[in-house]
Amino acid sequence: MTWLTGGALSVAVFMIVGLISLVVAMGTTTFWPVPLVHLELQDGDALMGELTRVEEIPDSGGALRRLMRSANFDLTDEHFEWADESDIVAETHPDWAILVERLDWGRFYGTPTRFEHPGGVVEGTPETVWAAFQAAHGEVRDRWHERRAIERGPIGDFNAEGEALRLELRTEGLDHGFRSAPYREAEQRFQAAEEARTRRYDTLRAGIDELDALNDEYTLELTTADGEQAGIQVAEIVRAFAPNQLSLLDKLGVYLSRWWEFLTDEPRFANQEGGVFPAIFGTVMMTLIMTVFVVPFGVLAALYLREYAKQGLLVSIVRVAVNNLAGVPSIVFGVFGLGFFCYFTGTWIDEMFFAAKLPSPTFRTGGILWASLTLALLTLPVVIVATEEALAAVPNSMREGSYACGASKWQTIRRIVLPRALPGIMTGLVLAIARGAGEVAPLMLVGALKLAPELPLDMHAPFVHLERSFMHLGYHIYDLGFHSQNSEAAKPMVFTTTLLLIGIVVALDIAAISIRSRLRRRYVTGRI
Amino acid sequence: MTDKSFTGRKASRKTTRRVQLAESVSRWCITIGGLGTIVAVTTIFLFLVWVVLPLFGDSTASEAAAVAVANLETDRPVAFGTDEQQFVGWTLLEDGTACSYELSTGAELERRHLFDGVEPTHFDVSVLDGTFAAAFADGSVRLGRVGVSVEFITDAEDLAPLQDTIADLEPGDRFAYRTGRAEMTPALQVRYHGLLAEADEPVRSKSSSPVVRLRHVVAGTTRMLLTLREDGGLRLSKLRARPNLLTGKVSFKTTDTELPYEPRPDVGEPDHLLVNELGTAVYVAWNDGLLRRYEVASRTDVRLAETVNLLPGNDGTELTVLDWMLGRTTIVTGDSSGGVYGWFLSRREGDDETRLTRAHELPSGGSAVTALASSSRNRTLVAAFADGSLRGYYVPTDDLIFETVTDAASPAEAVNLMPRGDGMLALTAGGLQRFGLDAPHPETRLPALFGKVWYEGESGPVHVWQSSGATDDFEPKLGLMPLVFGTLKATVYSMIFSVPLAILAAIYTSEFLVRSARARVKQSIEMMATLPSVVLGFLAALWMAPLVETHLVATLMAFFAVPFTWLAGAYLWQLLPGERAVRLSGWPRMLLIAAAVPVGLLLGKLVAPAVEQGLLGGNVKLWLAGSAGEASGGWVLILAPLCALGMAWLLSRYVTPALRRASVDWTRRQLAVADLLKFGGGVVATLGLAWGLAHMLDGLGLDPRGGLGFGQLDLSPTSTYVQRNALIVGFVMGFAVVPIIYTLAEDALSSVPEHLRAASLATGATPWQTATRVVVPTAMSGLFSAVMIGLGRAVGETMVVLMAAGNTPLLEANLFNGFRTLSANIAVELPEAVQNGSLYRVLFLAALTLFAMTFVINTLAEIVRQRFRRRAYEL
Repeated sequence: MTWLTGGALSVAVFMIVGLISLVVAMGTTTFWPVPLVHLELQDGDALMGELTRVEEIPDSGGALRRLMRSANFDLTDEHFEWADESDIVAETHPDWAILVERLDWGRFYGTPTRFEHPGGVVEGTPETVWAAFQAAHGEVRDRWHERRAIERGPIGDFNAEGEALRLELRTEGLDHGFRSAPYREAEQRFQAAEEARTRRYDTLRAGIDELDALNDEYTLELTTADGEQAGIQVAEIVRAFAPNQLSLLDKLGVYLSRWWEFLTDEPRFANQEGGVFPAIFGTVMMTLIMTVFVVPFGVLAALYLREYAKQGLLVSIVRVAVNNLAGVPSIVFGVFGLGFFCYFTGTWIDEMFFAAKLPSPTFRTGGILWASLTLALLTLPVVIVATEEALAAVPNSMREGSYACGASKWQTIRRIVLPRALPGIMTGLVLAIARGAGEVAPLMLVGALKLAPELPLDMHAPFVHLERSFMHLGYHIYDLGFHSQNSEAAKPMVFTTTLLLIGIVVALDIAAISIRSRLRRRYVTGRI
Repeated sequence: MTDKSFTGRKASRKTTRRVQLAESVSRWCITIGGLGTIVAVTTIFLFLVWVVLPLFGDSTASEAAAVAVANLETDRPVAFGTDEQQFVGWTLLEDGTACSYELSTGAELERRHLFDGVEPTHFDVSVLDGTFAAAFADGSVRLGRVGVSVEFITDAEDLAPLQDTIADLEPGDRFAYRTGRAEMTPALQVRYHGLLAEADEPVRSKSSSPVVRLRHVVAGTTRMLLTLREDGGLRLSKLRARPNLLTGKVSFKTTDTELPYEPRPDVGEPDHLLVNELGTAVYVAWNDGLLRRYEVASRTDVRLAETVNLLPGNDGTELTVLDWMLGRTTIVTGDSSGGVYGWFLSRREGDDETRLTRAHELPSGGSAVTALASSSRNRTLVAAFADGSLRGYYVPTDDLIFETVTDAASPAEAVNLMPRGDGMLALTAGGLQRFGLDAPHPETRLPALFGKVWYEGESGPVHVWQSSGATDDFEPKLGLMPLVFGTLKATVYSMIFSVPLAILAAIYTSEFLVRSARARVKQSIEMMATLPSVVLGFLAALWMAPLVETHLVATLMAFFAVPFTWLAGAYLWQLLPGERAVRLSGWPRMLLIAAAVPVGLLLGKLVAPAVEQGLLGGNVKLWLAGSAGEASGGWVLILAPLCALGMAWLLSRYVTPALRRASVDWTRRQLAVADLLKFGGGVVATLGLAWGLAHMLDGLGLDPRGGLGFGQLDLSPTSTYVQRNALIVGFVMGFAVVPIIYTLAEDALSSVPEHLRAASLATGATPWQTATRVVVPTAMSGLFSAVMIGLGRAVGETMVVLMAAGNTPLLEANLFNGFRTLSANIAVELPEAVQNGSLYRVLFLAALTLFAMTFVINTLAEIVRQRFRRRAYEL
């Protein structure tokens, strides 16, 4: 029977180890470039793509089929195609099969046949076309980045300014009445400013148009496996390489460059490609705000319960209640957050401070502040319980010793109790933060979005936009896995995002564990 | 003596101001902050209750207030109504005149004749959508619209002459404009309310015989017109709108269908005609209660489907009103003895035909029904009675929701619910009377939320959750039972998996595991508790679900094979010489046990094809769908674990003592061989027992694939396979629940004092006997509370079930089917729910239910745990 219990333990350990290794294995291999395989099929068709997996055809008695990532979604309306093993006539790895990662429509696989640039047209062998493309690609992409910088910077400023002006005008109207003299004056000022702005916008727009026009002249034409021709704007190409020619070092380069893009760039093609920077940013910022709220209040409540309140039935009841709140489902906190923060408090704040923006809501909708507060409430009981336990672990003899030396209560707490309990409190806090960072269910109700257009932190006053909704790694996983039109294509992205999220949470866990072991050591030495 | 201290020395320094200040400031800060935090946390519960409470508030109707509309004595309206804002009202008079009036004063605003002075002979007005059909003496019929048109005046040209009027107006101010009234909106726009009265061109018709009864329905661009003419022809005309692209004029293409109508010369013309939106069902009814239903499949395929007596009592009662409810699925009738009923087409069990069924009998008013009015927002119905009373019903739940009386208790000839459901108008002999109405949540009585409700088209009362539909007139079905059931299903299946695993693992960790590994193992399992559940859900749904679907039998077999491998391993281990067994009982044994897991999995995979062939008819999917194999095969699999437990009990009760007595002078090796044989025999006997029982159950006609239905609730353990199902959720939820139970159980077990173990071992008990007879009973209450806290987590887990359970609100215990839990339902529906609407509050109720459930479970666990702590301390 001992074997049964041991077995249960080994299954539990297998579960955790298996899960983490699965995520690590799937997550780390996603970005590794794999060869492009060209398949000739019995019916004369050809298929080129990355081999995704081989599996048994259901109810066929052992026949196999391959799932090929065939890409070229804009031509075929498919990201993936099945090929029965029995249909395959020939399998080659063509040298000049090029993998193109585009801004939109996902990847494109084909052989380069033609390259258009302002200086003329390059035709002929794939080699020459490829060389010409590579020579021009960097420059075109630089122009594209420049264009995006204009859109982000000056045009973003421009829009923010316009919004501010409109709000100013409306505030004037609300304060003095829409038919009052001050409003009329403000209206005239607004008109004048608007005209100046329009002129400014035209110059900015002209700059963008110029860059676009230059870039439009570069086109790379590729031939797909089934002979179709397709032209791709060079500016649209994020990355292109010939996977079958890469050396190990080149592959490593592509791998790292993809990781870099993943960590620092924005998502593209309905979140299925590109990076998750906004989600990382949102997760970190939300967790930080949550921490700012949860730490002082959690510690204060625990100090009150343990050091100041009269220990009696009432405090026991409060303690049990707080303890139980830690077990209340997170979605309940989400419901509360939506009802209380977004709708109740938000309505009030909007009416008091953002009347000019009504009826479009400012705080009366999900946002990073409400999400952080909701998660703070969710983690508060965890912090209170952990802090209380840490405080309780400080032997009473130490407090008594301090009092005997003439210290006041606050002095005792500050100099004796808190330092002694600090590692324990820290452990609780870090675990609470880990829980908060990984929690998704309440966020679905109070502000996490599939795609948030703006970060909650930017260069426009007041710089920190607590009312904005945000992206979150956990929600990103949920959304990609369940709401994208093509979950097979999104799968690699989900695995890497999962790896990232688990990485953050496990790192926090390990931090907590190491703090705890240090606490134990210190505690033991303290007793000697 | 008093001024001298114990040591004989005075304190050399007084407590400084700063210290005193810090002391009081910190005391206040901590007290206020601490109490405030605790109060804030309890607010959660109060706030949820505050949002939920209005659900159960009573609906009320105010007393009557007369609306002084001029000339009502002479101009009897055939229909009347108001706009949404209760600002301007309209009436349609018998002679074809439409009038508008201000509701607050009754002052007439405009009067317009719809048909250039020609007086119609019959009217059919649908107040809900503001359309009418009018028949004329020459046999022609005209359709049209009547009501209040509401528009925002935004054109600068229109606003220019208004500037002086509106310059000083505040939001909410009203003024006369054009031929109606206008109001300043909060956004300072001008909203104009005028009379809408327009008639289309006459409907072309082959017959010029005068119309005696008519009925119309407007649905999108199609209109249905049902006419009964003096010559006895009952005709259904379908009018399809065809806008002329050049002129913008709309013409209609008419398709006529003649119905096989037989007159009843002894009774006379029918009193009521009804037609549905698609024109597929036509009803003709007489006041003596006879109703004929015609089915119109196409122009040529028309048949009399059934004849129904709407007044089965036949005690001289007459039908007084018959009309559609919102959605044109339920027919409501009122009769002269005060009965109000709801009817719709439904198919009884075991009946091939759908029949018009009396599904709702509403609380009677005692006197004859004079008028009925349906709400345009929900399934509320207002009935007016001859004694002047007005009653509001919520039809699906048969509830009387409000009651009021007209002024002077004069019976209302007609009654009308205002568009927003916040008021009523009643036409009595004395004129129009207006009532305020407050009925925000008529559909959410507790019996309706947790009991069965007879929804439209169902064969009887059922539990259903379906909160939204494609159309506006959708009937919301807010039965929480399927969600509660789903929550229980998720909890039960995940607990079946997690509890044994976690408790056994905890016992091993605290009693048998090598000491040095203990902390590390515990830490890594605790780490599992902090894994984001979205990750678990995603892996369950996108990685595990397809994998399990392809290897279903192997997965099921693994649940048998892995424990079997352990047991077999344990009995083989006994064959080792005693000395060596003790020496190897640390790491080597642990590693061997761990290695048994993959061996078990492999074994499961190997026997799977044989099992599928032998027990499940060769294909598990087909077997589950009920089209291959026999029921007994499934029973064997279901009963095997139970039989194994039973057999283990039998063996330990009868065989082991006998073996022990006989083995007094055997060697260790002999005993081990005997034990192994016992185990082998036990396995064979278990399978045999399961086989026998399975055939017995099969013989009784029980089938695990759907033979265990209790009405709507289906307790069959297996049935149709769905990719995202309870098996997946049960397993993956284990990742969330196991660490919690494990940690707490391990804490409880290791806090059992060491001297108890030592005493037990010293009396000659084996470590296993010590664990099961001393440690576990002592820690029992701690283990119990661990399980309860795990249960609390399983009840509220959201992401895993949201992603891996398929979210179908079913009442099926089937292991291979999906379900929807309260928590997943909140996550799916709350973002779209309108604030303070019924759905919003019901979802808050779901949250409150979850809150209460987990709070009770956790409190129970906490109390038990504290008792355990005290006991452990006393020991």
